[in-house]
Amino acid sequence: MYSKEIQKKLKDLGVEIGDSVRVKRGDQVHEGILMPKQELGDPDAIVIKLSNGYSLGLKFKGSELEKLQGHKGIGFKSSEEKTKRIAGKPLISIISTGGTVASRVDYATGGVDASYRTSDIVKTVPELGEFNIDSKFLFEIMSENMTPEHWKEMARAVYKELKTDTKGVIVTHGTDTMHFSSAALSFMLRDLNKPVVFTGSQRSSDRGSSDSFINMICSANFASKGDVAEVSLVMHGSSNDDFCYAHRGTKVRKLHTSKRDAFKSVNDEPLAKIFPDGRIEMTNGNYRKRCDGEVSLDDKLEEKVALIKTYPGMEPGIFDFYIGKKFKGFVIEGTGLGHVPTIEGHSVISRIREATKAGIPVCITSQCLFGRVHDFVYANLRKEFEAGAMFCGDMLPEVAYVKLMHVLAHSKDLEEIKKMMLTNVAGELNERTPVLE
Amino acid sequence: MKCGIEIHQRLATEKKLFCGCSAQPSEEKPIATVERMQRAVAGELGDVDLAALHEYSRGRKYRYQIFPQSTCLVELDEEPPHSMNGEALEIAVEVCLLLNSKVVDEVEVMRKTVIDGSNTSGFQRTSIIGLGGFIETSKGRVGIQAVCLEEESSGIVGEKAGEITYRLDRLGIPLVEIATSPDIKDAKHAREVAEKLGMILRATGKVQRGIGTIRQDINISVPEGARVEVKGAQELGLIETIVDKEVRRQEKLVKIKGELEKRFGKKKFGKPAMVEVTEIFKNSASKLLRKECVLAMKLEKFAGLLGEELYENRRLGTEFSDYAVAKAGVGGIIHSDEKLEKYPITGEELSRLREKIGAGAQDAFVLVAGDGKTCERALEGVYERTLQAFEGPQNEVRRVLADGGTAYMRPMPGSARLYPETDVPPIGISEEFIEEIRGRLSEMPEERKKKLLKVLNEELAEKIMLSENYPLFEKVVGELKVEPKFVATTLEETLVSLRREGVPVEKLNENKLMELFIEYKCGKFVKAAIPEILRYISKNAGESISSAVEKLKLEKMSPVELKQIVKEKRKSGKVGKALIQDIMREHRLRVDAEELSKIVEVYP
Ligand SMILES: [Zn+2]
Repeated sequence: MYSKEIQKKLKDLGVEIGDSVRVKRGDQVHEGILMPKQELGDPDAIVIKLSNGYSLGLKFKGSELEKLQGHKGIGFKSSEEKTKRIAGKPLISIISTGGTVASRVDYATGGVDASYRTSDIVKTVPELGEFNIDSKFLFEIMSENMTPEHWKEMARAVYKELKTDTKGVIVTHGTDTMHFSSAALSFMLRDLNKPVVFTGSQRSSDRGSSDSFINMICSANFASKGDVAEVSLVMHGSSNDDFCYAHRGTKVRKLHTSKRDAFKSVNDEPLAKIFPDGRIEMTNGNYRKRCDGEVSLDDKLEEKVALIKTYPGMEPGIFDFYIGKKFKGFVIEGTGLGHVPTIEGHSVISRIREATKAGIPVCITSQCLFGRVHDFVYANLRKEFEAGAMFCGDMLPEVAYVKLMHVLAHSKDLEEIKKMMLTNVAGELNERTPVLE
Repeated sequence: MKCGIEIHQRLATEKKLFCGCSAQPSEEKPIATVERMQRAVAGELGDVDLAALHEYSRGRKYRYQIFPQSTCLVELDEEPPHSMNGEALEIAVEVCLLLNSKVVDEVEVMRKTVIDGSNTSGFQRTSIIGLGGFIETSKGRVGIQAVCLEEESSGIVGEKAGEITYRLDRLGIPLVEIATSPDIKDAKHAREVAEKLGMILRATGKVQRGIGTIRQDINISVPEGARVEVKGAQELGLIETIVDKEVRRQEKLVKIKGELEKRFGKKKFGKPAMVEVTEIFKNSASKLLRKECVLAMKLEKFAGLLGEELYENRRLGTEFSDYAVAKAGVGGIIHSDEKLEKYPITGEELSRLREKIGAGAQDAFVLVAGDGKTCERALEGVYERTLQAFEGPQNEVRRVLADGGTAYMRPMPGSARLYPETDVPPIGISEEFIEEIRGRLSEMPEERKKKLLKVLNEELAEKIMLSENYPLFEKVVGELKVEPKFVATTLEETLVSLRREGVPVEKLNENKLMELFIEYKCGKFVKAAIPEILRYISKNAGESISSAVEKLKLEKMSPVELKQIVKEKRKSGKVGKALIQDIMREHRLRVDAEELSKIVEVYP
């Protein structure tokens, strides 16, 4: 935002963002289009875009501003073109929830806007012209701001699409918490009959090098032709633009802050390798097949669940805080095989015992992510177990967190909760840990 | 004629512009590669940038080589840029001040769409640092439009079947771009301006040297012509030729346009059919034409025009061919104004061809052979270029050929290519920052030369003034009071001839050379011993100069020792000059000639 002083001056002159202006500063004269102010820029410097395309920052103090003829619309205009379905092309649904995949850039401000009209999407990724596309705008939310309420809305929207004659549903999503959403939908959509594919991009689509194009093309192929009637997550398989992996929605995690292949399958093989030319190679024999059955929606979640990471020197009072706030369940991200501190002053054991006594389940997962937890191999693990903790096998902490919300919405009985938590529903629990990543 | 140039100069910073990788040239070998695709992205209001689309239509794959010290995730487009390198920004501001350019108040980093694959991200980061300014030349002032700081692109390694390989060690090295106003008067003047800007840049002492570290782009247009940007002139010597040939090319294209107006009047040139003539050349003696498909296109009323020479070895037909090459990647085309016997095409084939496509004596034709799709695309390119012939020269980007001629590269990009880089915050530039740099500004080349001419001859002055050793020269002369001519000769001539001999003189850093001059000043050795000492020290960089001198037995003779030798020599009857010459012949590396002649004078 510009400073108050500049804003006032602009108002007095009747100048709006996008107007052509002349800025005089001493013997220098510059003409260009008045640009909006970037968040991090100096609020006292006016930014204009010159005719050669460069932006220029000029101190407002000591400058004279003059309005010229001409205005350039800054921002996005969606095309109003209607797209017709063409017989013979497979129908897929795309639900947009935010993130930069299939988005457009405003070349004036550099701002990025998610496309959700079919015609815009096809314009951005022409290869999608091979498909009949039903696109829906659900919301536009940065993935770090997603809440369980959004997962429910997503589940309902996907469910609605699955009931149509679509071949499969794609959900475009910001990448940071995409694996939470894919896990949540894995539990909320029961008896899936078609693929539900989450996808996103690590590089915004304004650049020719964006991963979004290939991610979208591979997702469309997997949603329309794939045989996997599960919730999966399709993203780049390597740093090359050569193929994507489809990961099981409950067995995947973002493991890099910025790389294209940030998502990896954890404790499971990826489901399939998908090539931009449409080829699909299955890489995991264990999956639910596409079928004619009826999908059902079970969107109940108990949101008062906390995910707590243990670490040396932690304050166990954090559990008291949550219990005081009437939380109904805990997932602990322990160290190694699922350890928590047991030393006096920092011991979590008594908290596990108290919670369990109060009927609040405590689930144990590992911050190692790779591998499974164990309730017996060390004495301290046995202490946790005896205090009432439920060891969640090879389940990822985020997945256990989402699953516990789902389970708690269906039962209040500790024994039953334990049974449900430790029973595989959507591929979240594997008895065998794969040898190769 | 209107002509301006753009100079691109790599800066000698320690690190790259937007990451922590080394920006210095190295001998590293690539350790891995990644493979990427790029595509045109929709631009403002949904229209796709013309230049970007053009590259995309070529559907290529890019392979990028990774180097251990000079590639990180930023070059791989796998990590956002870090903040801008302050050292590079300071140098850019210094260049602005030397060019009388006004530094901006806030640097806005932009993304310039580049889709030839030379940037992994699909754009180059660039920003204006200074606007306006001028340099003085023999033909008056030449204005400076802008000074920009930007990222160097990746270096091309090779190209094969739809795949281009680039090396990432070069990507992201800071680059200063200086664009002059179109004030250049003629071809010779263009060279002068390029030379002058190069000198100013080198005078900062903070720019890279060597092949490819400086490049010139030249913008040229003639009256009724178009704006043409000639890219990538690396040799100053070619600039005059480039300008001269481009002016002639544009002038000739204007004439051809006039001729076409005469031939066509108000009549429009309709789109000619592409006719398959594979059959005619099925048994041709020309290997070039015995292909899966041969397509022909008649160019109505174009007879003679394709053979019109634009300048030596370039005809209108060559321009048509450039388009076919650029659009379809074919080797070239055959047209009716060529000597068709050379392919060879027989008279019979020719008449069958002319008949089949209905080409009369006033018509020209174009042939292309290969697979069907490629031929079609090639002829589309030819058709596009044919229509342009009616409009005269086109705004376009051309590349330099070895003879100073140019070939079509791509259309001129529009300003839609630039949009804000939102990953790098704008950088405010304060008056204090500018003044601090002004305070330690290097001298302009003229001033430095004037100063040097007082103590050196012209040749040596020119050598040292732009040398990377200049700061050392100043220090040795200023602090040690060693005679300037000797210092300049050692730094610019002795070191150069040792390098030519294959001595690894790059091992000698500034400290070692300083040590050399200190020991010399203390009288440890004589001038003549220096090549020997440097030769030894280059190979034994760990040793001190004084121990090297002792090992080589090159200590300067003491006056006592010298007197003793003079005495001995006299016994053999030698006197005066002959005596001196004799002693110098034997003890050249340890005796100072002046000192010796004094001794001979004093003790006759
Ligand atoms: Zn780097």
